[in-house]
Amino acid sequence: MNPYIPVIVVLIFGVVLGGILSGLAAFLGPKKYSREKMDPYECGVPKVTAGSEKMSVKFYLTAILFILFDIETVFLYLWARTFKELGWLGIIEIAVFVLILVVGYIYVVRRGALEWD
Amino acid sequence: MGMNLGIDFSSLLQWNDFTVDLAAFAVKFAILVGGLLQLPPLLVWIERRVPALMQRRRGPNRVGIFKWRLYGLLQSLADTVKLIFKEEVVPDGAHKVFYHLAPVFCVFPAFLVACAIPYGPDLAIYGYKIPLSVVRMDVGFLFIFAISSLAVYGVALAGWASNNKYSLMGSLRASAQMISYEIPLGMSLIPIVLIYGTLDLGKIVEAQNSFFQWGVFTAPVSLLIFVICMFAETNRAPFDLAEAEGELVAGFHTEYNSAKFAAFFLGEYVSMFVLSCLASTVFFGGWQVPFVSYDALVTMLGSPNFVAPIGILMLLLKAAFFMWVYIWVRWTLPRFRYDQLMFLGWKFMLPIGLANVVVTAIVLAVLRFK
Amino acid sequence: MEALYFVPEMLFYVISGLILLSSIMVVAARNPVTSAIFLVVDLFFVAALYAQLDAHFTAAIQVLVYAGAIVVLFVFVIMILNLKPDALRGIRFSLGEALVLLITLAGFVIVGSELARTAPDLTTPGNLGSAAIEMAGGNTYVVAMRMFTAFLWPFEMASVLILLAIVACVMIAKKDKRVTKS
Repeated sequence: MNPYIPVIVVLIFGVVLGGILSGLAAFLGPKKYSREKMDPYECGVPKVTAGSEKMSVKFYLTAILFILFDIETVFLYLWARTFKELGWLGIIEIAVFVLILVVGYIYVVRRGALEWD
Repeated sequence: MGMNLGIDFSSLLQWNDFTVDLAAFAVKFAILVGGLLQLPPLLVWIERRVPALMQRRRGPNRVGIFKWRLYGLLQSLADTVKLIFKEEVVPDGAHKVFYHLAPVFCVFPAFLVACAIPYGPDLAIYGYKIPLSVVRMDVGFLFIFAISSLAVYGVALAGWASNNKYSLMGSLRASAQMISYEIPLGMSLIPIVLIYGTLDLGKIVEAQNSFFQWGVFTAPVSLLIFVICMFAETNRAPFDLAEAEGELVAGFHTEYNSAKFAAFFLGEYVSMFVLSCLASTVFFGGWQVPFVSYDALVTMLGSPNFVAPIGILMLLLKAAFFMWVYIWVRWTLPRFRYDQLMFLGWKFMLPIGLANVVVTAIVLAVLRFK
Repeated sequence: MEALYFVPEMLFYVISGLILLSSIMVVAARNPVTSAIFLVVDLFFVAALYAQLDAHFTAAIQVLVYAGAIVVLFVFVIMILNLKPDALRGIRFSLGEALVLLITLAGFVIVGSELARTAPDLTTPGNLGSAAIEMAGGNTYVVAMRMFTAFLWPFEMASVLILLAIVACVMIAKKDKRVTKS
């Protein structure tokens, strides 16, 4: 049996389960409208500031660095899978790769891009 | 298109490889889902009773049926019923679709990953080999990481769709925390691939046949990193700044109440269970019994089918140990501040993970490439 | 599985149709977050296409890196900038844009038919067939062996590219302290 048939079934089931749970209260709960309930929650005080301000750019940096190191991890997985067959040559090859990225990492740390998030 | 739609249905009505696999999948999946759905009430009860005992108080012990108090176990049942029947207040300006969709993104990755874990050795029924994992992929680890990286969307969407700037902030921070700890999590399992030479979880468990080949002895640093990142990924224990009471209210799920809140917690507890199972599988031998190899068990009990329940029990015991650690750590350690958290993830875990890979590779190369 | 032999071919058309549909929704959605989520769905279906071609490793990586990291970045940016749907318009074409779109579609049709006419025969599995891959040790193994032997230079160049990306994004996102101090 194709291994993806269970994957699709479980996926659909998970989505349906989440959807049912999500929609359950809309069916089963009472619906009493009141003005105060509809405001965004701000520790009980009425809404103070309008809309929202811009967030810090550090999140953007974190996300981009995550992508890049994720890619590095994927390459490491590939190498780890064929570690035995590649022998010492493979270690040297991956060492070059990791070294270049370590240079990048040190640059990031020295530049302070990961400070105070 | 010219496709011949002559379907041969008779081969679907007999027991062949395809239908056996299909039937086995249905049974396994039903049992797994049934078990997973019992998990949150049980865990919530443990989570309230255990810290109570740790803090020398009683915890919930009032809810009962006909004088059976069961030490507060029925409190979970009462809570579940309450959550489902509570009024659902959708805040003004919340996004019509994503507000309702976000809990789904937290639920389905956990269930999907739970299906990739080998719960026991293969069964042999009438000549058909039935593996005890609902989904069997040969890119096991990568599949698990791919699916669990989708859980970030649940958190991100929940905060964004709530039209509440504190929720937005909370969800941004929680998402950033989750992705920051995904890298060390991935890197900590690379030495495992180096040592056991495969990405398939079933084969990794089979490779831990003797006690001292367990992952905890061959890759202890990996275990440490994995456990720490495990806590950070599920937004729990000392890393729960994004959902802690008193910080940003309840973070990304401030505006969520009743059943959707239950959905988030279902997702969180199932993720906890799944990561615990993963840790047990990779580092503690999965369904293997300590000091007794699989073949010895088969010869002792006569057939692999009798070894399977023991295997499942062993795995569940190990997973229970990790979940106990989850709850224990949550009520023991103080919470990290957000910048400490990110510092730990990027500047401590990542270099250690990388160094771990390097050292393991060199040691293995010296030992194996003579 | 003999009974359902027509499923793979049908599946390809179904998945491709879904990919096209979600791609159109990515562009047509008014809300940027809706666009991003449709992109996730789109990439998921592309991964399904890879899986149907028995490229399981590529499918997993597609979900892991593309849908699970890159679109997360998009969503982060949208959340940081707090883009509202009003700031962006939906699909409303001006005459010039409609003309460009028609020409592009015509170009696709021309190129596509030319490719289809001269396409190599990919129906007979050579040494890339799934049976051959299974014998060789599985998807990841084959990809890894090829990459570290035949494609070594592209692999090392990839690391340089990643380094470039790291440096570039840090430079963009962090102002140089020396510049602001004066």
